[in-house]
Amino acid sequence: MDLIHPRTAADVADALREASTSGRRVLVVGGRRHIDKGNPSGVDAELWTTQLDGVVAYEPAEMLTVVQAGMRCDALGAMLAEHGQEWPADAPPEATVGGVIASGSSSARRMRVGPLRDTVVEMEFVTGDGRLVRSGARTVKNVTGYDLHRLAAGSLGTLGVITQVALKVRPLPERRLTLTAPGDLPLATAIASEVTLAAGVVATTDAVEVRLEGWAGEVDELAAAVTRLAPASTPEDLPSFPRAPWWTWPGDATIAEVAVAPSRLVGVVSATTTYAALAGVGLAWVVAANEDELGELRRRAERAGGIAPVVRGPGGLGSADVRGADVLRRLKRSFDPAHVLAPGRSLADLPQTR
Amino acid sequence: MADVDAARRELEAALGPDAVIADPLGRRLYARDASMVEGGCALVALPTTAEQVQACVRAAATYGLPVVPRGSGTGLAGGATPIGDSLVVATARMTRIVEVRPEDRLAWVEPGVPNLDLANHLRTRGWTFAPDPSSQQTSSIGGNVNTNAGGPHCLAYGVTSAHVLAVDMVMADGSLERFGAEGPEAPGYDLRGVIVGSEGTLGVVTRVCVRILPVPPAVRTMLFGFDSVDACAATVSAIIAGGVVPAALEMMDRGIVRAVENFAHAGYPVDAAAVLLVEVDGTEAGVTEQTRRVEEAAADHGVSSVRIAADETERAGLWKGRKSAFGAIAQIAPHYHLHDCVVPRTKLVEVMRGVYAIAEHHGLIVTNVFHAGDGNLHPLFSFDRSVPGTLERVLRASDEVVRLCVDAGGALSGEHGIGLEKRDFMPLVFTDEDLEAQACLRSSFDPDGRMNPRKVLPDGARCGEFAVAAAGSGVAAADAADLPEGSWI
Repeated sequence: MDLIHPRTAADVADALREASTSGRRVLVVGGRRHIDKGNPSGVDAELWTTQLDGVVAYEPAEMLTVVQAGMRCDALGAMLAEHGQEWPADAPPEATVGGVIASGSSSARRMRVGPLRDTVVEMEFVTGDGRLVRSGARTVKNVTGYDLHRLAAGSLGTLGVITQVALKVRPLPERRLTLTAPGDLPLATAIASEVTLAAGVVATTDAVEVRLEGWAGEVDELAAAVTRLAPASTPEDLPSFPRAPWWTWPGDATIAEVAVAPSRLVGVVSATTTYAALAGVGLAWVVAANEDELGELRRRAERAGGIAPVVRGPGGLGSADVRGADVLRRLKRSFDPAHVLAPGRSLADLPQTR
Repeated sequence: MADVDAARRELEAALGPDAVIADPLGRRLYARDASMVEGGCALVALPTTAEQVQACVRAAATYGLPVVPRGSGTGLAGGATPIGDSLVVATARMTRIVEVRPEDRLAWVEPGVPNLDLANHLRTRGWTFAPDPSSQQTSSIGGNVNTNAGGPHCLAYGVTSAHVLAVDMVMADGSLERFGAEGPEAPGYDLRGVIVGSEGTLGVVTRVCVRILPVPPAVRTMLFGFDSVDACAATVSAIIAGGVVPAALEMMDRGIVRAVENFAHAGYPVDAAAVLLVEVDGTEAGVTEQTRRVEEAAADHGVSSVRIAADETERAGLWKGRKSAFGAIAQIAPHYHLHDCVVPRTKLVEVMRGVYAIAEHHGLIVTNVFHAGDGNLHPLFSFDRSVPGTLERVLRASDEVVRLCVDAGGALSGEHGIGLEKRDFMPLVFTDEDLEAQACLRSSFDPDGRMNPRKVLPDGARCGEFAVAAAGSGVAAADAADLPEGSWI
C-alpha cells in the first residue's frame, strides 16, 4: 500500500492526475471513522489529508469559517469555542472536517441543529483526474450556479478529494443538559413530539436520553416539560450526546445506520437487541450480530422506505434502490473518468454494472 | 427544426385543449417573469398531473422543442423567461397539498401550491413551512425549490434546501424519478441537494416532500429606528456576534420606510434613516433572553426608537410593513429594477455606501429593503422607462452593483438565481474549470440540453465529456443574436 501525503491542494491535484494516468486506485482517508462504510477494496494507495489542516479564515461575526479539509474536529472545535461558537458535527476528536462531510454523517442533535451537509456553503475539491474545482460562496445564502459541494458531501470520496470548505457555524448554547430516564423508544418518540425544541432524544433498549440546550431559562422550561413525561429522569451535564456514540461501542460487531421516516423507526428497530435510536429524526445505529440479522434489518428498513448502510464492519451500503442510476453513472464518469477514487465502494462501482 | 404544430396536436390530445396555449396573446403572458427580460415561446402547457408533465417533456423531445419549466414567474433573474421555439411547462394547476404527516414532520405537496397557502394550511394544525419569500402570496413551492428561495425566516431556519426532503422530477428523457427520501438520509449522491436551486435546468419537479416545523411556542417582533444607515447595519453584526441568531433580521432604509408608511400605515418611524425589524422565537424564557440582548445591541448603537409588538395584531402590522414593500414602491416611479445579491454580513455598511454612490452617480433613485442578517441585499432602482436613456442608466448601475458585491466577497444571487440576467457574470466568481464541472453536472441529468437551455451557465461552459452529444441533439438552440432585449448579455 502506497501512501500519498499532500501538503497542498496542488499536491492533491498532481497525485490524482498521476493516479488517473497510471490507474493507481486511491482511497481518501481522514480520521478513519467511516473507513468501513461502503467497504473499499482493491486499494493501491491511501491519500491522507492530515497535512491539509490550516485555517484559511474565521470571522466570528460572519458565523463562517474557512478551513482545509484535513483539519481535525477537536482543533476546529477548540478554535471556535474561544469565540463562543461551534460546528455541530459531534464527531470523534480525531475525525477530520473533510472526512465527516464526505461520510455523510450528522450530529445526534440533528433535530435542533439540522443535517451537517447544510453547514457546507463553499467547497474546493480535486476531481479524480486532478482538476481543482470550487463551488458555492462564503456567504450564508447563495444561489449562484450548481451546488457541486452537495454532490461531494456524503459521496465517500468517490467523486473527488475535498481540500477546503467554508462552514456555517453557530453560537454555543448558554447551557446544555442531558436527562436520562428508564424507558423505551415509544417514550422517546412521545418526548420528541411534545418537546419539539429538544436537541435530541435517543432511546436504547432500556433507557431514554434527552439532550437539551439553549438559553439557561429555556433549558429549565424544556427540562420541566420532559420531566412531566418522564418523571424518573436524572439531569446531568454530559459533554457527549448520546452518552456512548456508536463508535465507542465495545467489540467489533457490525453496526448499521438505519434511516427511515421518524414514525417508522419503532417498527424497524424493535426486534433488535442493541441499538441507539434518534426519535423524531428517524436515525438509529443498530448492531447486527451476523449476516442474517443484517439482512433482516435491511428488509425491514426497505419496507419502511428507508436504508441501512453499514458504518462499522462488512456489509456495504446495502441493496436499496438507488434512483437516477444513469445520472450517478454519468457523474462518476465526469468527475472520476479513470475510476481511480475509492475503489470498491458501492457508489463508485455503479458504472461497472452497466 | 421544431415542429410546433405536431407538438401542439400531441399535447392537446394528452392534456386536453384547454391545457395548451398556442395563440399569440396567450403565449405573450408567459414570455417573461419578474425580470427585465422579455422572451417568447412556441407553446404553453398547463399539466395537472406528473403523467401529463411526462407527456409534455416527451412531446417536446419528439418535436425538437426545449422545455422551460415555470412556477408563478416571480423570479427576478429570467430563469422562467422562455427563449426561441420552446414549450413552457407551467405547474400552476398542480395545486394539491397531498398529505401532511406531523408524526414524520413532513408534507407532500404539488409544485403549484402557493407558498402562503401551504403556510396557512399548516398553521391551523400548529405547524409551519419555514421558507417565506416576500413573494409568498404568489410564488409557488415548485418555484421556491428551483430557486432555493429564501425569505426573512431563513436566517435561523435555513434556505429552502434545508426544508426539502425529497422531490419527484420528470427527467429530460420523460422518465419520472424520486430523489431524496422521507427519512433523514437517502442512498447514493445527494441529487436532491443539487436539484434544489437548479432553476429548472435538470428536470420538471412534479411533487415535493417538505420538512415542516412546529410553530414555536413564543415569538417577539421588534422594530428599531436609527439615525444612520451605518448604525443600523452595525447593529446587525453586533446582534449576531453577541450570540443571538434571530428568526428574522430585516433592514429598510428611509426611502422604502416612507413608501411603506404611506401604503400600509404600519407605524414605522418615517424620520429614521433606517429601521431594523427583528424577530426572535423559542420558549418564553428563550424569547425574553434574546429580546434583552437584541435591545442591548440596539442601545449600544444609539437606537432612536424602539417598538416591541405587544400582541399578534401588532406583530402582523409590523410584518405587513416589510412584506408590502415591493407593492408600496409603485408610488415612487412606475418601474423598478430589483436586485438580489449577497455579501458577507460584516461588509454591509461598506456595500450600502457603495450602492448609494452608484445611484447618485447615475442620477437614479435607490431604496433598500433586505435580509440584513443573511447579507442578502435587494437594492431597488425606481424609474420611468418612458424617459429616454433611463433604462440604459439603470442597467449600467445594476452592472456596477453586481461587481461591487462580488468585490466585497459576495455571491451573484441570494434567492432568485442566475437565469438569463446574470449568466454572463458567472466568470466573475468561477473559473473555467469550475464552470465546466457545473456543466458536467447539468449534462449528467440532461445530456442533450433539453431543459431550460442557455440559463445559468454562460454559453462557453461545456462539459468535455458531453459536448459531442449536446451538439448532435435535435434541440434548436437559439443563436446569441436571438437573445431577447433587456438581457445584460
